[in-house]
Amino acid sequence: MNLSVKIGNVRFKNPVTVASGTFGHAEQYYDLEEVGRLGALVPKTVTLKARLGNPPARIVETPAGMLNAIGIENPGADGFIHHKLPSLQRIGVPLIISILGHSDEEFVTLVSKFHEQRQIVALELNLSCPNLGKKVLVAQDPQATHRLVKRVKKISRVPVIAKLAPQVTDITVIARAAQDAGADALSLINTFPAMAIDTLRRRPILGNLSGGLSGPAIRPMALCLVYTAAQEVKIPIIAMGGIVTADDALQFILAGATMVAVGTTNFINPRAPIEVLEGIKKYMRGNKVKDIQQLIGGLRTEAAETKG
Amino acid sequence: MPQLQNIYRVVANKKLSPRFYQLCIDAPSIIGKVQPGQFIHIRVNDGLEPFFRRPFSVYRAQKYVEILYEVIGPGTQILSLKKKGDPLDVLGPIGKSFDMPSPETRQVVMVAGGIGVAPFLILTDFLRKRQSLGFDVPKLILLYGGRTKGHVFSMKEFINNGCAVHVATDDGSVGVRGRVDKLFSRIDFNPRTTWIYTCGPKPMMAVLQRFARRHRLQGQACCEETMACALGACLGCSIRTTQGFRTVCYDGPVFDLNEIIFE
Ligand SMILES: Cc1cc2nc3c(=O)[nH]c(=O)nc-3n(C[C@H](O)[C@H](O)[C@H](O)COP(=O)(O)OP(=O)(O)OC[C@H]3O[C@@H](n4cnc5c(N)ncnc54)[C@H](O)[C@@H]3O)c2cc1C
Ligand SMILES: Cc1cc2nc3c(=O)[nH]c(=O)nc-3n(C[C@H](O)[C@H](O)[C@H](O)COP(=O)(O)O)c2cc1C
Ligand code: FES
Repeated sequence: MNLSVKIGNVRFKNPVTVASGTFGHAEQYYDLEEVGRLGALVPKTVTLKARLGNPPARIVETPAGMLNAIGIENPGADGFIHHKLPSLQRIGVPLIISILGHSDEEFVTLVSKFHEQRQIVALELNLSCPNLGKKVLVAQDPQATHRLVKRVKKISRVPVIAKLAPQVTDITVIARAAQDAGADALSLINTFPAMAIDTLRRRPILGNLSGGLSGPAIRPMALCLVYTAAQEVKIPIIAMGGIVTADDALQFILAGATMVAVGTTNFINPRAPIEVLEGIKKYMRGNKVKDIQQLIGGLRTEAAETKG
Repeated sequence: MPQLQNIYRVVANKKLSPRFYQLCIDAPSIIGKVQPGQFIHIRVNDGLEPFFRRPFSVYRAQKYVEILYEVIGPGTQILSLKKKGDPLDVLGPIGKSFDMPSPETRQVVMVAGGIGVAPFLILTDFLRKRQSLGFDVPKLILLYGGRTKGHVFSMKEFINNGCAVHVATDDGSVGVRGRVDKLFSRIDFNPRTTWIYTCGPKPMMAVLQRFARRHRLQGQACCEETMACALGACLGCSIRTTQGFRTVCYDGPVFDLNEIIFE
């Protein structure tokens, strides 16, 4: 059974990874042998300078999901490289580092800090964080997306993945802009802008007023965006958005995703990524699928045969 | 994937009063590992409602792991329906525990508000165990504030552990009438020999912090915040401290009392 998939020139042993911002402190709490079975790890987005993040409350649960407005709290590129990267490298799983610059120059500097580090096999450009008070995200502007991806591609020694936002009029326009600029893959999708209000206090629940919705609540919408984008572009898609089970992951794969990331579900069931991986294998065995490639984009849309 | 995640069996789920329960779990891999102040993170439901797990301080860890909890919403409501033999998906033990008092400490004052008393029984169990190992054990004092008589628990267990217990209730149905800070005047707080532990509502801990600053007292507070992962991954449970934002689940839940910034 072949589970391996490729992004750019990098081969991953299987398609299962974790979504940025939903996995951490593996060295302290996790069975590293199990973590080592995943296709890749994606740590929380790193910015050039350290960020403190947003004021509390930063999270709230909602029907079948949650809102978050963490505000990319992170130790900055140098802090990350010194304090976090070594323990991630020791796990031995390929790393995809998510980076976010506040300008094209910052993105370029970030790339130069990361693309030659051991174990880092790709960079994910976070063009779509809803929690930084920006009026327009890079991922809402096809020109900006194109310009940025192109600049980064010019210098990066590793494949470049553009992480896009769901709140766009037409996902195919942005997806194509990223592809045309040379992106090696797309990550779909980041959280949906959302809010919750405490009616007693008549105040927003989140300290940041609004946040991003994630979890199973967004899965059908994420699936539709992945399917739509996959119809438009040739580059691989890393899909995320409410994946809880292997069946959820398989839906994204059939819709055209090459890799799948477990995000919010890690908070509820930290074993989910491994369960998803095992479930995909079981499905392949049960359905006599020898190669995961046979499933990617394998959705049947022709009219079902009707019996005369 | 975490070594901390396990399915355990419920041994008992006893109703103590209309809103308070004591849950007892057969969790052998937590016993022997858990330290006072640490907590467990329980998935109360297999489905998606409520969505998050729920954190609870370990109240006792002898043969079984016990928690003391108050039913305040859907999560604790579902928990209250668990029966003997039911499986329970638990992450734990999690978090930074209380430091043991320094050798100069002659007097430990625990200030608890309501359900905040939970981490102190296991603390006094540990302090007593240290005594049997030959450590000098300081005088133990529990200042315990609750709404009313039915909200004040375990006084017998604390007394059995050698604690002097002082109670204040809002309606005066047990102990003195008023807030727990009414009890402060009963204690001789010598800053060189006193160590404070506290757990309870933020306003109570904020009052204690002001008192502690005024009298140059040192101690630790066990904090609460809404949690998703409880593993330090989501950075969702941050509170403000003099060291910047700190996660309650990973950097805490126990913090230096004087470092917390109550808002
Ligand atoms: C480290 C830690 C240890 C804890 N230990 C215990 C314990 O030993 N016993 C116990 O009974 N509870 C404890 N709690 C609190 C417990 O986790 C909550 O009571 C529980 O999650 C409530 O879930 P629910 O679905 O029943 O109520 P929800 O619907 O989640 O809450 C009902 C109402 O209470 C408010 N609320 C919820 N959680 C808190 C909180 N932590 N502080 C203030 N207000 C809150 C909500 O805003 C809401 O208005 C602890 C919390 C933490 C973080
Ligand atoms: C608490 C939290 C923090 C997140 N932080 C980041 C981040 O730093 N960078 C990023 O690109 N996406 C971040 N995300 C978005 C996820 O990576 C993912 O795109 C999104 O949550 C949808 O997947 P899910 O429903 O499986 O969680 C975060 C999501 C959550 C819930
Ligand atoms: S609950 Fe996720 S970091 Fe504390």
